[in-house]
Amino acid sequence: MAKNRKNQSAAIRFGPALKALGLCLLIAGSAVGYVWQKSRIYQLGQQIRQREMRLTRLQNNNQKLDGQLSILRLPVMLDRRARELNLGLAPAQPNQVLRLTEPAPPPPADRTLTHQLAVRPATEMTQ
Amino acid sequence: MTKRLQWKRVLLLLALLGLAFAGLGYRLVDLQVLRHEELAVKAQQNTQREFWQPPRRGNILDARGNLLATSLFVKTVCADPVLIGNRQAAVAHVLAPLLQLDESDLYQRLLPRLGKNQKGEIVTNRYVVLQHKVSDETWQKIQMTMTNFAAGVDERKLSRTERASLRDLRSNAIFADPVDDQLRVYPGGSLASHVLGFTATEAGTNRVARIVGRDGIEMVLNSALSGAAGWRVTRTDRQKRELVTLRDEDVQARDGLNVVLTLDAAIQHIVETNLADALQKHTPISITGIVMRPRTGEILALATLPNYDPNNPGGSPLDARRDRVISDLMEPGSTFKIVVVSGALNEGAVRLTDTFDCEQGHFAFAGRVLHDHEPYGLLTTEGIVTKSSNIGAAKIGIRLGQDHLYDYACDFGFGQRTGIPLPGEARGILYPVKDWSKVSIAQIPMGHGIAVTRLQMILAMCALANDGWLMRPMLINRLEDQNGNVVRQYYPQRVRQVISDSTDKLVVDALKTVVSPEGTAAGAAMKYYTVAGKTGTAQKVENGTYAEHKFVSSFIGFFPADDPELCISVVMDEPKEGYYGGQVCGPVFKEIAERCASYLNIPPDKTSESPGAPAPLVAAGTARPASTQ
Repeated sequence: MAKNRKNQSAAIRFGPALKALGLCLLIAGSAVGYVWQKSRIYQLGQQIRQREMRLTRLQNNNQKLDGQLSILRLPVMLDRRARELNLGLAPAQPNQVLRLTEPAPPPPADRTLTHQLAVRPATEMTQ
Repeated sequence: MTKRLQWKRVLLLLALLGLAFAGLGYRLVDLQVLRHEELAVKAQQNTQREFWQPPRRGNILDARGNLLATSLFVKTVCADPVLIGNRQAAVAHVLAPLLQLDESDLYQRLLPRLGKNQKGEIVTNRYVVLQHKVSDETWQKIQMTMTNFAAGVDERKLSRTERASLRDLRSNAIFADPVDDQLRVYPGGSLASHVLGFTATEAGTNRVARIVGRDGIEMVLNSALSGAAGWRVTRTDRQKRELVTLRDEDVQARDGLNVVLTLDAAIQHIVETNLADALQKHTPISITGIVMRPRTGEILALATLPNYDPNNPGGSPLDARRDRVISDLMEPGSTFKIVVVSGALNEGAVRLTDTFDCEQGHFAFAGRVLHDHEPYGLLTTEGIVTKSSNIGAAKIGIRLGQDHLYDYACDFGFGQRTGIPLPGEARGILYPVKDWSKVSIAQIPMGHGIAVTRLQMILAMCALANDGWLMRPMLINRLEDQNGNVVRQYYPQRVRQVISDSTDKLVVDALKTVVSPEGTAAGAAMKYYTVAGKTGTAQKVENGTYAEHKFVSSFIGFFPADDPELCISVVMDEPKEGYYGGQVCGPVFKEIAERCASYLNIPPDKTSESPGAPAPLVAAGTARPASTQ
C-alpha cells in the first residue's frame, strides 16, 4: 500500500527541493552571466571606440606637430628668423671653405686577378 | 452538472486563448513573413549607420624633405536650431567671435526654419552649417564655451523640462560634423606658388568634401595626392552610440601619396628674394627666374613675380596666378643666337674664327634694314656672340640656310611643349620654312619672328651645358606613401643630342666671353667660377609693331662653364632703370649664382686673382680648332 505523502519524512522531501533550487540557481546564473557578458561586450566595444577616437586624435595631433616642426625648419622661416635676430650671418665664400682631397684607393684589379689565379685549381683554369 | 459547467468554462477559456494565440500567430506571420522585406529595411535603417572617412591628401615636399604643402583635418561646425529654443541671441553672442562670423548673421542662421522632408511633411530644420574649416583648437574652445553656457537665468527656478532643454542645448545644440573636413596649408606662403598651384573644395558624394587641385602640381597630380575614402558600416544604439561588436564593414581610408619635387626650397627662396630685390629696383611688369641642373634637367627653382599666396589664391589678381615661365610667349632676342651659332658650327658652315662684316650697325636685307645696338666692323663668330651682334648673327643664319636653321630650332625644342608636368604650357611659335618671309632667315637668328617660353630657352642653354644633349625638364623626383616607401621614381630623360660634343665645347668657349669685360654681361661674371651665358634684349611687339621703349630683357648662363652644375635664367618684362639684358639681369644672375654655389658647396674652378683671359674678339687671323662637323 502506498504511503500517504503527508506522512513522508522531511529528509526524503529535502532532496527534490535542493535539486529545484540548484536548477533555479543554474538558470538564474546563466541569465545573469549572459547579461553580464553582453554588458561587458558593450563596455569593451565602447572602450575600443574611445581608444580608436583617441588614436585618431593623437595621429592628427602628431601630424599637426610634425607639420609645425617642418614649418620651423623651412629655409624661408630660418632665413626670416636669422634676419630678425640680426645675427649677421652670411654665406661662406669659396675661399673660406677648406676642401680635403681624399687619397685615391690603390688599384685593386691586378691584385684580385693574381689572387684568383693563385687559388683556382689548375683544372678549372684550363677549362 | 458541476462538472459539465466546469468543462464549458475550460473550453471557453481554451477557445479564447486559442483565438488570442491565433491572432498573435497571424501578427507574427504578418511581421516576419508578409511584411518582412519592408520591416527589415526599416529595422536596418533604425540601427545601421554608415560613416565615411575622408583620405588625407598627400604632402608636397621639396628634394630635401621640406614641407611645401600639407593637409590638416579641421571641423565643420553645425547647429540644431530646435535644441537652441529661443536662446539664439545668447548663443550667437558667445559663438560669433570664435567662429569669426557676424553676430547678426549667426543669429539668423540659428533661427529654426520650416521645410518639407522627402515625404512632403512639414518639419523644422535640425542641421545648419555654421562654419567650415574650423581648427581643432577653436572647436575645443567652442565646446568649452557651450558647456559653460550661461543662459542668463536662475536655473534653480526653472522647471524640470526647461532644465533638460538647457542641458540639451549645452551638450547637443552645437556639434561638429562627424566627417572631418580638410584644410590645405602651404607653410612657405607664396614660396614656389606657381609650381605648387592651389586647391578648391568640392562637395563630394556621401558628405565627404573633396579637395581638388586647381593649378600646378596640385592639379597635375590630383589623383595621386587625393587617395581613396574609407567607410564603416556599423550599428548604433538608441543614443546613437556605436556598437563596435556589430560592425559589418570597416575599410580604412587610403591616404594620398606624398609628392617629392626636384625643387629645393632654399634655392627657391634665394631666387625669389633676389628677384624681389630686382623687382623693386627695376620695376618690371614681371620677373622670372629658373635654376636647373643641366646634366639631369632637374628644376631646382622656378619663380615668377608677382606671385600669390596659395593659402588664399582669391586674394591675388588673376594675372599674378599665371605661371609666365611656361605660359607666356616672348621673342627671345639675342639669347636665340646660341641656336644659330651652334647649328652653324655643328654643320661646319662657320668656324669660331671666321669673320663677318657687321656693316657698322646697318645692314639692308630683303627690303629691311637690320641694326646693331653698337656699330661693329669685322667680328669673328666668337666676337658676334660676345658682342651680341644682330647683323653678325643674321649673316651666320644666312650661311646656315633656312632648312638647317629650322631643323636646329626644332631640335633645341622650340615650337613644341617641353613636357614639364605643369598645366598651361605653351608650345611657342616656330613657323615652318614655307611660311617664312624673305627676311625671316635674317630675323630669326637674332631672336625675332619666333616666340618661345622662358622654359624652352633655358632648356636650350642647358643642352649646351650638357655636351649638346637636350634634357626633358624634371620637376617630380618621386611619389611615396605616408611611411616613406617609394611608389614611383622618376629619372632624368634625354631627349636628343642636338650638337656634337666637340661643337658644344666651341660654343661654350664663345659663351664664356659674354661675361668678359668686352662682353655684354660683364656684370654676370663670378669671382670664383667661370660663367658661360648669353644676354637677350628683345623689343616687345604691340599691335603688330615693335614698341619703342618696351623690352624683354634676359640673361641665361651656367657655371662652372666647363663642368656645369647649375644653369640659371633671369628674365624681366619691361624693366625700368636700364633695359639691356646684361645690364639688368646679369647682376641678378650673379647674385643668385653666388648664393646657390655657396649653399650647394660647388667647388670653385678659378681663383679670384685669375680671371679668365678673353679670346680676341676682332679677327686676328689666328686659327682655332675648327668644328669637326
